Amino acid sequence: MKLAVLLVLATIALLILGFALPVHQATTPGIVSGEALPGVGASANTPEAAVRSLLGDVQARDWNRAYSVLANNNNVPKEAFIRDVGGNYGSLRTFSSLEGSRTRVLNENGDQALVRADMHWSTAVGPIYDVKQLKVVQQGGNWKVEWPLEKQPTVPPQVVPVNYLRWDVISRGPEDDWGTQNVDSPRVRIVSMNAVQHGSTLVIVGEVVNEDTVPAFVDINAILIGKNDQNLDQESSFDKIQHTLLPKQVTPYRIDFPGFNLSQVKNVRMDAKAMLVPASADPVIAVLDQHEQNNVLGRKVLSGNLLNESGRVVNIAQVLATYYDSNGKVIWVSDGYVDRALLPQTPEPFAVDMPDSTVGKVQSYRVTVNHYMRQQS
Amino acid sequence: MRRVLPAACLTICLMAALALAAQELQLPATVNAGSGFAIATSGSGSATFYLVGPSYTAKRQVQLGQEIQVRPPEVRSAGRYLAILRSGGASRSGSFYVSAAKPASLSFLAHPSRIPVGQRGGVVGVAFLFDNWHNLVRRPEDVEFRLSTKNAPAAAQSVRTRDGAAWILMNSGTKAGNAQFVAALDGIEEARVIQQVASDPCHLQIRAERSPRGILVQTAPVRDCSGNPVSDGTVVTFTANSPAGLSTVDVPVKKDIAQVELKIPGPATISVASGVVMGNEVKVGGQQ
Amino acid sequence: MRHALVLALLFVFSASCLAADGPRVQFDISHIGPRQMEEVTGRNIPRDWGRAWQTLAVAFAQNRPDLLGHYFTGFAQQKLTAGIAAQEKSGVRTRYVDHGHKLEAFFYSPDGGALELHDTADLEIQVLDGNNLVHSERVTLRYIGLMTPAADHWEVRVLESVPSF
Repeated sequence: MKLAVLLVLATIALLILGFALPVHQATTPGIVSGEALPGVGASANTPEAAVRSLLGDVQARDWNRAYSVLANNNNVPKEAFIRDVGGNYGSLRTFSSLEGSRTRVLNENGDQALVRADMHWSTAVGPIYDVKQLKVVQQGGNWKVEWPLEKQPTVPPQVVPVNYLRWDVISRGPEDDWGTQNVDSPRVRIVSMNAVQHGSTLVIVGEVVNEDTVPAFVDINAILIGKNDQNLDQESSFDKIQHTLLPKQVTPYRIDFPGFNLSQVKNVRMDAKAMLVPASADPVIAVLDQHEQNNVLGRKVLSGNLLNESGRVVNIAQVLATYYDSNGKVIWVSDGYVDRALLPQTPEPFAVDMPDSTVGKVQSYRVTVNHYMRQQS
Repeated sequence: MRRVLPAACLTICLMAALALAAQELQLPATVNAGSGFAIATSGSGSATFYLVGPSYTAKRQVQLGQEIQVRPPEVRSAGRYLAILRSGGASRSGSFYVSAAKPASLSFLAHPSRIPVGQRGGVVGVAFLFDNWHNLVRRPEDVEFRLSTKNAPAAAQSVRTRDGAAWILMNSGTKAGNAQFVAALDGIEEARVIQQVASDPCHLQIRAERSPRGILVQTAPVRDCSGNPVSDGTVVTFTANSPAGLSTVDVPVKKDIAQVELKIPGPATISVASGVVMGNEVKVGGQQ
Repeated sequence: MRHALVLALLFVFSASCLAADGPRVQFDISHIGPRQMEEVTGRNIPRDWGRAWQTLAVAFAQNRPDLLGHYFTGFAQQKLTAGIAAQEKSGVRTRYVDHGHKLEAFFYSPDGGALELHDTADLEIQVLDGNNLVHSERVTLRYIGLMTPAADHWEVRVLESVPSF
């Protein structure tokens, strides 16, 4: 009885407090403070509000509403818009959600404006940042976004013969006698290693080659040894490496040690682990027109186009860029995921960061491509 | 008294000697595995006989004064055996060793399963000798190791075992292909297959020419320095430097050749590499 | 409650005994060949040899062939398992009290896949028929061992007592 009375009194007290004290609403990701939730009846009375409203619908994956407020939905088919924004072909975008965005009006002139939207996508492999410059026009008293649809080329029907090599593995079984021969693990070799300080992170970069005649699944581990010969930390290359290496293929690797400094480290012990795995030499992905440039944010990037030369869709591609100085030493490795699928015979642009610390030191670079395909036959 | 005392002393000594002798069973020092033998006993009455070995333990009732038969299946495992005879609260015991019988099998370890041609001492063979009951044959025996490939004379060498083991390092051949690696002794043979593969590509050469869609680049047959074609699937990296930027593509060798059509309209300098081996460079003009 | 606590303590104690590093093992690699021993292997071999002996003693004392699987394999495991089965059938048990080993590595295969050892073991061996002590001795015995690497430790593949090295 006493407990029941206590609970009632506490409820009343909390209700009074709730009305009496002001509440500051926390910033909803993607929404500028002070605005009503976009996509829920808010009017797009400014260019920025129109863009935020559209992005709110994208975040909520309300494609119908997002499409209905486009200025150019007469020219942009709905399916194409949904594909462009939501992804298709099992691309990385299909596993992503818009985590947040920032908008800025670049210029406004009468009934037209240009708004930059910095979008932060949350994906299965980490965050991806995308920047779009959106033209916004005034129609019937409201501002509406003209969506810049990237026309997806259609791959003409054709037969693409695929006769690249494929490897399967049969290992010895548990019943086999001791002494029964097994297939050896592939021989891989670390050909270079360089420790660089990147802010508060100690980074180990380098390259490893598959010296064998069979495919290898490779991973590189590094242990930092301190001044007193103690193990400071151990990390692996995780996804900053092309794991499946065909014979004589070379991949860069990068191992990050956050919070460590070069001055703490006496030695680095490297370990390359290689496993024999089934693999296919298909698909071949060409990396075309690689060049350095500044992106819309003024950051230095290495960009180019990926061309999937096979007849199957590559669902997710990851680009690994190795940067060399004038002595041929690896000074940095950066990576980036392409959030669109690579369609057969169709170039797809990519861009990866070039950190400020490498600007001016990079003499040459090399790009390799990791790929993931949903259907491996 | 003078006659009794020496007799009494003699009796006591004899009894002591008998008692002493009674502590130990008369056993052979060593027997061959799987060879039965007999243990002589003295006295009368029944006793309990225990035989304790590495993989065998038995207990049975026996008659003193008769031989105790140790049967061949009881002494198959090599090692130390205890034989204990218990009668009326007193024990007599002894130990003997069982050693391996004649060799009956080889455990042959051969490494690696794949080796590039022309590697000195790259092929490792280790053989362990066992008898019929999986006992290590410690007696020195001569094991012959033979490495042979098609169209090449076999390399053979005999190695004496030490404590049941023999080992050898052999050179891989100059021709790629499967090699038979055999360890043999007195009609016992174990064979393994060592795949001899081509070494790193040597004299990597390309030619490049304009095609309707770009530049067609093709390697000459990719071979190692001994003339062996590299394995299909070996990756060759083509790099094209053009005004539009750098283009690279990793292409696997197929039937000795790697080729690709680079979609580059303008002039370009094409180079090639495989692993850590670089090839030549070719300049190609722009499309007409 | 008290019984349960005592049982739990006994379990933890016996588990920790089994998990402990086993009997004292002095390891000598001065005559090893053809391959030189790596530092890590040089630490692991005496550890795993000691644990193998500890396992053997417990397995024979308790008639538990299932305990042999972690440190024994191949012919050694087969023979020791047969030995325990014979023990169980006859009712005669062998108890080993391990007073330490002097282990010498003399053959390490070039590929690192096999290691032959000479072990001089100081053992107390008791033979029991049921609960009656039939025989007891303290002896120095010589063993030839062959170890091969498993996933994260070394296993004994051959273990034979010999009159001399």
